[in-house]
Amino acid sequence: MTVAPASKNSQRFPLRKEQNPAAVQRPKRKRPDASNFSIRMGQLGLAVAVLGAWELLGRIGVIDPFFFPLPSDILVTVWAWISTGFVFPHLWITLQEAVLAFITGATAGLVLGFLLARVRLLERLFDPFLQMFNALPRVVLAPIFLLWFGLGIWSKVAFGFTLVFFIVFFNTLEGVKSVDRVLVDNAKMLGASEKQLLRHVFIPSALTWIFSSLHISVGFAITGAVVGEYLGASAGVGYAIAQAQGVFDTEGVFAGMFILMVVVLIIDLGVNRVERHLLRWRPPQQSS
Amino acid sequence: MTQPSQPESSKYAVELNGCTKEFATPGGGSYFAVRDIDLKVEPGRFVSIVGPTGSGKSTILNMAAGLLNPSSGTVHSFGEPVHGVNRRASYMFQQDALLPWKSVIDNVSLGLTMAGVSKSDAYDESRRWLEKVGLKNFADRYPHQLSGGMRKRTAVAQAWIVNPDILLMDEPFSALDVQTRQIMENELLQLWQESDKAVVFITHDLDEAIALSDEVIILGAGPGSTVVGSYEIDIPRPRDLLEIRDDPKFVDLHREIWGRLKVEVSRTYESAREEESDAA
Repeated sequence: MTVAPASKNSQRFPLRKEQNPAAVQRPKRKRPDASNFSIRMGQLGLAVAVLGAWELLGRIGVIDPFFFPLPSDILVTVWAWISTGFVFPHLWITLQEAVLAFITGATAGLVLGFLLARVRLLERLFDPFLQMFNALPRVVLAPIFLLWFGLGIWSKVAFGFTLVFFIVFFNTLEGVKSVDRVLVDNAKMLGASEKQLLRHVFIPSALTWIFSSLHISVGFAITGAVVGEYLGASAGVGYAIAQAQGVFDTEGVFAGMFILMVVVLIIDLGVNRVERHLLRWRPPQQSS
Repeated sequence: MTQPSQPESSKYAVELNGCTKEFATPGGGSYFAVRDIDLKVEPGRFVSIVGPTGSGKSTILNMAAGLLNPSSGTVHSFGEPVHGVNRRASYMFQQDALLPWKSVIDNVSLGLTMAGVSKSDAYDESRRWLEKVGLKNFADRYPHQLSGGMRKRTAVAQAWIVNPDILLMDEPFSALDVQTRQIMENELLQLWQESDKAVVFITHDLDEAIALSDEVIILGAGPGSTVVGSYEIDIPRPRDLLEIRDDPKFVDLHREIWGRLKVEVSRTYESAREEESDAA
């Protein structure tokens, strides 16, 4: 399970924009149009080459289409799922779970992160317990949540919550603690109360960290929902994939993956928009 | 903090009595940044503190600001003991202390809006100050879009807009190039002459200290440094900072004070070299 190491990693080093896989495709603002265009063409060419080779090798029988269904067949299945409306109720359930997990997890992570960063005593008190829960591979919690909360959406929300919470929490904690001392002193000298410090200094300063964690935690919210559904549910995209796998319908499995991927990309685009607006004060990042 | 404020101390804008500051080191030990500092600054006076690197200049300023508590000794401001942040003082930091996520005008008006002034009033006052420091066309820029000199001007406006009785300045212009720096010094002096504010100005540059101040205080070599000399600068005002370095009075004072400062500087240098050879 990649869950624990990824969140551990993000806690120390929030991904910078250029390292963030979700942000790589975003057009760089300062680039001249020509090179931007040629990059686009290169990306398109790469995608066509890989998918074309896959299709070709499958058709001439080098790879077994039973395990690696042809891209064309996958697209047909995707279209079938969409045109018959089969996928939408499942997607709706999955999104509901993901959104609820994200909102509860991010809110709890933010509040606790700010609280512990500002109250040294609480941080020292809670630290070992948080480390313990973070060290636990979260996937093992899924079965117990199924028992506690049943087959419905709440067991998936609880599972997603545990994934989202720790990422947002550790990033917020680190973000608030790493605020430049001088900025805090300056605001204090200008007469800032604790509440004003939070509003004018700590929250904006921690935003950079929080946003880098949002990209990851949005993905994890959906991961939580899908994995939860996969392990036991009566609806959702994860459930649909599990059903397809149960009847050796690999095309269905790939179609489910494809649809999830597109949905996550669209959501990430939205996060990027919000981020760009809220972090507009930041100097454009120099490309290394 | 042990004794109540004495009535006769009330005339000083800043008064440090026997202030010692001890810091814990990561190894579990401790060292004295400054020892037995007595500092008295009358309202309306411009006082500079000069000392070699590591002599605890910023520590003294932070104690006057209330950002640091002395390990022993007392800090008073206009007769009131300083607990927490000194409300009658503004602070100009050596580093950039503007909030990078606020535009120039939001940075300048910050002190007013946090004190409860309405946004439109605060903006009006900020525009007045931006005009004064020559930045009225840059109100909507973010700090990273300004040059170093412009950021310092913004910081000046930010510190002065709240109309403090005391200005604490920690090498505010040290990051600027020489020409910009002289211009900023001139502007600072002009602003100050129109006001009745007490200024405590930290610098490692003796020229700058003499040119600007009424009094120059010399700190000894650190650690555990203390005041080793205090010189009255009686060059008449208003002063022309671009010409002052040729003034015979300036030259005399410079020679006299440098004679004292030199000793401390070379002591700092010697002990640094000793440490190096110990480590080797």
